[in-house]
Amino acid sequence: MALFAVFQTTYLLALLSLRTYESEVLSEPLPLTPESLKVSVNSTCQCLHLQWTVHSLAYHQELKMVFQIQISRFKTSNVIWVENYSTTVKQNQVLHWSWESELPLECAAHFIRMRSVVDDSRIPESGFWSNWSSWEEADAQNLLGHDPLFVFPKDKLVEEGSNVTICYVSRIHQDNISCYLEGVQIHGEQLDRSVTAFELKNVSFIRKKGTNVFCKMEQGGVLGGIVLFVSKVLQEPKDFSCETQDLKTLTCTWDPGSDTGLTKQPSQSYTLFESFSGKRTLCKHRNWCNWQVAQDSQETYNFTLLAENYLRKRSVSILFNLTQRVHPMTPYNLFPKNVGATNATMTWKVHSIGNNSTLLCQLELLTEEKVIQQHNVSIKVNGEYLLSELEPDTEYVARVRCAYTKHFWKWSEFISQKFNTAEAAPSEAPDVWRNMKMVSGHPTVSLFWKPLSKVHANGKILFYNVTVENLDKPSRLEVLSIPAPARSTELTLDQCSYQIHVTAHNSVGPSPASVIVVSGDPGNEEVEKGRVNGTEDGFSVSWKPQSGDATGYVVEWCDGPQDLPCVLQWKNLGPNTTSTVISSGAFRPGVRYNFRIYGISTKRMAHLLEKKAGYLEELAPSDNPQVVMSNLTSHSFTLSWKDYSTESQPGFIQGYHVYLKPKAGEQCHQAFEKTVLPEDSVCCKYTIDNPEQKTFVVENLQPESVYEFFVTPYTSVGEGPLDAFTKVTTPDEYSHILIRIILPMVFCVLIVMIICYLKSQWLKEKCYPDIPDPYKSSVLSLIKSKENPHLTIMNVNDCVPDAIEVINKPEGSKIQFLGTRKSLTETEFTKPAYLYLLPTEKNYSGPGPCICFENFTYNQAASDFASCGHFPVTPQAPPPQLGPLTSPENLLKALEQNYMNSLGEIPAGEANLNYVSQLASPTSGDKDSLPTNPPEPALCSEYKMQMAIPLGLASAPPRENSSLSSTTLLGQGEHCS
Amino acid sequence: MLPAAGEPAAGDSWGMLACLCAVLWHLPAVPAHNRTGDPGPGPSIQKTYDLTRYLEHQLRSLAGTYLNYLGPPFNEPDFNPPRLGAETLPRATVNLEVWRSLNDRLRLTQNYEAYSHLLCYLRGLNRQAATAELRRSLAHFCTSLQGLLGSIAGVMAALGYPLPQPLPGTEPTWTPGPAHSDFLQKMDDFWLLKELQTWLWRSAKDFNRLKKKMQPPAAAVTLHLEAHGF
Repeated sequence: MALFAVFQTTYLLALLSLRTYESEVLSEPLPLTPESLKVSVNSTCQCLHLQWTVHSLAYHQELKMVFQIQISRFKTSNVIWVENYSTTVKQNQVLHWSWESELPLECAAHFIRMRSVVDDSRIPESGFWSNWSSWEEADAQNLLGHDPLFVFPKDKLVEEGSNVTICYVSRIHQDNISCYLEGVQIHGEQLDRSVTAFELKNVSFIRKKGTNVFCKMEQGGVLGGIVLFVSKVLQEPKDFSCETQDLKTLTCTWDPGSDTGLTKQPSQSYTLFESFSGKRTLCKHRNWCNWQVAQDSQETYNFTLLAENYLRKRSVSILFNLTQRVHPMTPYNLFPKNVGATNATMTWKVHSIGNNSTLLCQLELLTEEKVIQQHNVSIKVNGEYLLSELEPDTEYVARVRCAYTKHFWKWSEFISQKFNTAEAAPSEAPDVWRNMKMVSGHPTVSLFWKPLSKVHANGKILFYNVTVENLDKPSRLEVLSIPAPARSTELTLDQCSYQIHVTAHNSVGPSPASVIVVSGDPGNEEVEKGRVNGTEDGFSVSWKPQSGDATGYVVEWCDGPQDLPCVLQWKNLGPNTTSTVISSGAFRPGVRYNFRIYGISTKRMAHLLEKKAGYLEELAPSDNPQVVMSNLTSHSFTLSWKDYSTESQPGFIQGYHVYLKPKAGEQCHQAFEKTVLPEDSVCCKYTIDNPEQKTFVVENLQPESVYEFFVTPYTSVGEGPLDAFTKVTTPDEYSHILIRIILPMVFCVLIVMIICYLKSQWLKEKCYPDIPDPYKSSVLSLIKSKENPHLTIMNVNDCVPDAIEVINKPEGSKIQFLGTRKSLTETEFTKPAYLYLLPTEKNYSGPGPCICFENFTYNQAASDFASCGHFPVTPQAPPPQLGPLTSPENLLKALEQNYMNSLGEIPAGEANLNYVSQLASPTSGDKDSLPTNPPEPALCSEYKMQMAIPLGLASAPPRENSSLSSTTLLGQGEHCS
Repeated sequence: MLPAAGEPAAGDSWGMLACLCAVLWHLPAVPAHNRTGDPGPGPSIQKTYDLTRYLEHQLRSLAGTYLNYLGPPFNEPDFNPPRLGAETLPRATVNLEVWRSLNDRLRLTQNYEAYSHLLCYLRGLNRQAATAELRRSLAHFCTSLQGLLGSIAGVMAALGYPLPQPLPGTEPTWTPGPAHSDFLQKMDDFWLLKELQTWLWRSAKDFNRLKKKMQPPAAAVTLHLEAHGF
């Protein structure tokens, strides 16, 4: 049986071989189906790994075949990938093929099948595909646990800029699962009922601990997440180079670029590989590595630096000769030796390189960080060099670096050393100047000198010696020692000439002497004054050359403004110089600087030649003068600003502008020009172009007008600030004339008054004589001369009136009512009115004294009061019946009649006299009864009516009845004492 | 505090000032005048309590830095993930009744064991930290936590309790298994810090309770001087 089986097999194989052979020969199609297909999942790389064989191949047969591979996702019909894989197949060879999935394999089941075709030229017409293999499923989900939510891929490492697909698998089919990338929600595509994928494009590095992606279900607090490790892209090492300091060790350095280290991935490593020797070393540092030079005198090296991390490798190579990469070590023991004032010897050492190697060393000398000397010295081990032409008392820095002489590659680092040269005596005389002045009648010279520059001082100046020598008479030299850093001294001299020597001393010795000759004359000679223009560079001062033997010139000035203490400055100039530029950092715009130019004679004596004044930059005046207004008339006034100093202004005053605001509507005077002020007001401007003219008369003004004026100086730059205008009002045109008239008039009146006072007696007699005394009256003498014994002079007695008759005059005379003590003013009356006031019983106090007058001299000839008169009242007329009489006509008639009766001779034309009644009204206890009896002169004193006597009749004898014509109103009870 | 220094002579203000100065000067040298012999566990309980409070404060700063290092969502204030892989961490939360019923020894033992484990985990955390500054902070905190552990051991010794012996082979490790993803590792780190914070809070309660319990009756306490800073 077994034998039969062996035979059968042999027969079959032989048959197969025969068929194969026949097929080759007959070129029949040969379907070779892939077999034993196995699929495995690699979660780390998200790869599907396939392996299969082709059993149908003949022994030792090699065929080129193409395998077509199909990959489906979720279900076999959903083919997502088709690829033809070509390879040469041997008998019983296990074939491998891998496929990397973008979607994490845990999120979906994948199905794979393949078929093949022979693609061999030896077998013509062999292009028939085999049958498909059966579908193989790769489902990583089966490996998951029972958690409700998974997120994939786990802990994936990618490079920056990659695209990554993330998915989650939910066991609980819920829609309310949200996913977040670094706390920010992301939205994906649902691939399946339980699978959702998110595509993250161009991911970037966030932190070494990885980028967090997590998903959570809203209910149940289910959380799942992954960490995505995003590495920076490994960069190629830059600036890779190797060099040696001693031909024994090579040091290679490079710039590593960014660190790609993560907690998931260590930082990139660096490996140094030398191709000639085949040696390799793993570098311990990121940016440098040491390589021991072999003893076999290898000269040429080819180094490759390999940088690598989990994701990438980078390399860079260099090829060089060892002796051409020698970078010597820094020299050492650099010291100065034998340091003098002008020279010093420097010594140093170098590290030897190989045997008998020569180094080229560069010695540099620096002062104030500037290289002033450079020397090259070839040495083996010890270096020495003599530095000369040094400055005394100066700090220097010497530094040395060396290079390999055979093949210059690089200088070594510098080694530096400081040293100071020794001092020497000052090389130049100090620059000395003087200022002469008189102090308490003695000529005093102030000596100034400038400190020597460092170049000339050659050390620290300790003191200055001032030697004074009298040139006029032999005397002992006077030596003053002034310690530094003093820069001036003062000497009191007499009228003699002196020669002064000034020397500066340091620790080594004195400087050459500076000589100056002064005389007792302060030298206040009058010289030419001029102006000097300032520029950006300073003041360009020029002068006329001194005829004769000038050995030089000195320009002297003060650095500060005039109002500050003078910081005397000077500049020495040669004998052939007639101009110079004076510059100083202290010069300020708007400050006047005065320059004095001196000529120095051969005897070292200075003579003042010229004076100059100038501004570095002229400015407009900063303030305006205080203007005083005077001589104000109705047509002019005078302005003056005498106190304004033109010297202390920020520019040369060229003149003044007088601004005048005229009254509204008035035009500017001819001399003025119309101008518009900044505030748009129009005013008149007058320009005074003489800075010394500090008065101005404003004329042609209108009387009784308000003017406003303002004065401002101007320089070449502009005028002063616009200040407030001052108002002035011109007076009335006639007021002065009135004053001229009124004053003399007042004077005259005073004179008249004085004269009147002095002649008052005379005037009184002439103008207002005393009231004549009846007893002295000429009338009396006239009466007496007529020898009328009945006429007598009544005595004035006191009387108590019973009634007062008040006459109201139309001119507003005041009537006083005694009974009521009330006054009335009657001005409305145009005609006289008469009031009767009868005393009451109460007022009657019985018989009392009464005063009776009889004035015969009362003369009213000049009176023109024709409308006012007094008339006698007849006793028969009872008071109640007096009413009709109150009428003026009646009164006048009665009056006229009465007078006509009593004074028949008096012409009617002369009857219009004014009679003022001084009659005491009759008083009676019985109102009803009026006195009917004529007055009894013996019983009662009588106030007789004053009788006006015409001038022409003054001396006429009165008639007998004239006394009767006077009517007396007397009460019965009235008694005269 | 001052009445223990004695009443100064009335009216003698200079004397009183001198007395006050003398007392203040000698405060550091006077641990407890009225106590004789062993001061008992009181001071060490107090120190342990103070240490827990200090560590609470220190952890607040450290946790902020570390959670920022982990990134969102771990540094978000309302993040409260499920305790997935941190089951080996000693839990600080306990039922209130259970906590009250704990005796002193058990209370202290639980504290000691918890901090032993937490310290070990924390050292693992330190080893994995990527930045030098973070490693420095973690190392400093580990040292402080080591001090707390020693302090608890001191209290237990003072009370006569033996220290719990770790079982062989149960040394806690903080090395994630092969299936332990980095995200779960971060969650464990988060929970480690959270449990540490809860433990410190619980320890403060524990030691405060213990402190009150260990306090002698009020009449016996006449002077308690603390002279820190002298």
